[in-house]
Amino acid sequence: MSDPVLIEEPLQFGEGGRLFGILTLPSVPFQNPQELPVFVFFNAGFLHRVGPHRLYVHLARDLSRMGFSSLRVDLAGKGDSPSRPGLMNHQQSAAADYEEILRVLESRLVPGPLVLAGLCSGADDAIRLSPKDSRVVGLLLLDPVCSPDDGFGTRAFVLRYTNTARYVAWLKRRFEAPSPEFREKKEEVDPLSIRDAPTQEQLRTAFESIREREGRVLSVFTQYALGYYNQAGQLGRVLGVDGYQQFCTELFWPHAEHTYTLDLHRRRLMEVIKTWAGGFIRSRIGIKD
Amino acid sequence: MHEAFYFGPGNQRIFANYHPAAGGGGQVLTVICPPLFSDYMRTQLALRELAISLAERGQHVLRFDYGGTGDSFGEIGEVAVSDWLEDIALAVREGREISGSSAVRLLGVRAGALLACRSIGASSDVQRLVLWDPVPDGASYLQELRRIQAALSKRNLYLSRAERREAMHEYAGYTLSERMLEDLRLVDASVYSSIPKGMLHVVSTSSAAGFPVQGVPQDVAPFVCNWDTPANEVIVPRPVLERLVACLTRS
Repeated sequence: MSDPVLIEEPLQFGEGGRLFGILTLPSVPFQNPQELPVFVFFNAGFLHRVGPHRLYVHLARDLSRMGFSSLRVDLAGKGDSPSRPGLMNHQQSAAADYEEILRVLESRLVPGPLVLAGLCSGADDAIRLSPKDSRVVGLLLLDPVCSPDDGFGTRAFVLRYTNTARYVAWLKRRFEAPSPEFREKKEEVDPLSIRDAPTQEQLRTAFESIREREGRVLSVFTQYALGYYNQAGQLGRVLGVDGYQQFCTELFWPHAEHTYTLDLHRRRLMEVIKTWAGGFIRSRIGIKD
Repeated sequence: MHEAFYFGPGNQRIFANYHPAAGGGGQVLTVICPPLFSDYMRTQLALRELAISLAERGQHVLRFDYGGTGDSFGEIGEVAVSDWLEDIALAVREGREISGSSAVRLLGVRAGALLACRSIGASSDVQRLVLWDPVPDGASYLQELRRIQAALSKRNLYLSRAERREAMHEYAGYTLSERMLEDLRLVDASVYSSIPKGMLHVVSTSSAAGFPVQGVPQDVAPFVCNWDTPANEVIVPRPVLERLVACLTRS
C-alpha cells in the first residue's frame, strides 16, 4: 500500500505549541544528508498543509524517497495552527512563524540549506522570506507574481482569439440550455487584486539572493496567471536578473488549473519538481546539469 | 489544544487530531468522519472549528484522515471502501482508548456519512450519528463526481484533446481504483435505513436534498455549499456548525 520506511512526525512547535506541521524524513540513506536542502512547504491560500488535492503530501513523500527531508507547515491562522494573538498582518505573522520553523528544524535536523516552496500565497511567502535567510538555496514557486512585459497585451489577444476551444464552448453555450448545476460566476477578477503579493522589487531581491547563494529556482505558471503572465521566459525578462537562465527554470502551463485540479497535471508537476530537486543531489555529488 | 498523532499498522498509518474535553472531564467522544476529495479540502477548517467548539463544551473529539487521504499513509488509487470502514472502526477504538470515553457519537460529512453509517456494524458502541449533507448513495455520488469531472474539462479551454481523453478517466480530479469504484457502487441507501431512526440526525444545507429515510429528524441550515460544482474554496458555514454542535451535544 505504501512504503514501510516512510517516517512522518507531527510537530507542534513555537510558543505554546501553537504552530503545527508534519516533518517527513528521508526514506533512503544519503551520504552527508545535511548537504541536501530541507523543503519547507507553505500553505496555498487557506488550504491546510496537505496542499491542494494533497499535492504537498505527495511531494513530501516522493522527495523523501530521493533523500530529502521536508516540513509541510500550517502558518498561524491556517489549518491546525491558530492565529497569533494581537494585530499582526499576514507578512508579520509569517515572518514570526518562520523564525519558529527554523528553530524546530534546528532541533530536529542537522542545520543545513533550505528550499522554500509554495503555491499562490505560499509562493508569496517563500519570495518574501528567502532574502533574509542565507540558508535558503532554492525556491519552488507555483503561480508566483509577475509583471506583464511589453509583448504581454498582444500575446494575450492572440491567445484569447486563436483558441478554437473558446469558440466551440461559445457555440455550445448558444445551443445548450444553461445548466443550473454548473452555472458559474463569469466576472473576471484580477487574481493579484485579492492577493497580498510581493512587489517586483521583492521578487527581484529574492531571485538575486538565490543566485548569490548558487541556488536554483523553479517557477511554474498555470492558466490562473493568464491575467499577468502568458509566455515562458516572461518572468526572466521582467526581472532582468543576471545569469537568470543558469539558475532558474521557468515553465508556462496554461492547460493546468491553479490548484492542479486534474490528477494528470499533478502527476506531471510532481515529475518536473522531482527532476528539478534532483539537481541539488547532482550538484552535491559533482554532476553538472 | 489538540494532539496530533499517527496510529494503526506500520504502512497504513492513519493521521488523527485529538481534541480533549475542556476541563479534563468528558464522557462523550465524537469521532468526525470527514468527506472525500474536494469536499475534504473545503471543510478541513470548518471541522477543526467544530472539534474545538465540541471540546470547549466538554466532549472529546477525534478527527482523522482515511487511508490515502490527507496526511494519512497510502494512495487514493490503492484503497477501497472496506479499508476506510476499517479506518473508522480503528479511529473509534483509538479515540475511546485515548479519551477513556464509553459513549461514542459519529459525525459523517457528505460521503463520510455513508461510510459512517456503513461502519456502524463494526462499531456497535456508537450511540448517535449526525450526518451533514449526506450523499444519497455510492452510485449517485460517483455520478456526481463524474459530472464535476465533465465540468472541469468543459471549463478548461486550454486542455489538449489527449488531455481531455485522459481526464475523462478521473473522478473530480482523482484516479480511483476499480475496487473502489465497485465498492462505492455497492453502498446503497440501505446503509441509512439499517440504522435505528432514533440514532440518526441530519443537518442539511438544502431543503431540496431529501434524506432517503423517512422520519429522521432533519435541520436545514441557511448556507449554500455547492457540493456538486468543481469548487475549491474553503468554507466555514457557521449556521451548519451551530446546528451540528447542538445535535452532537444534546443529551
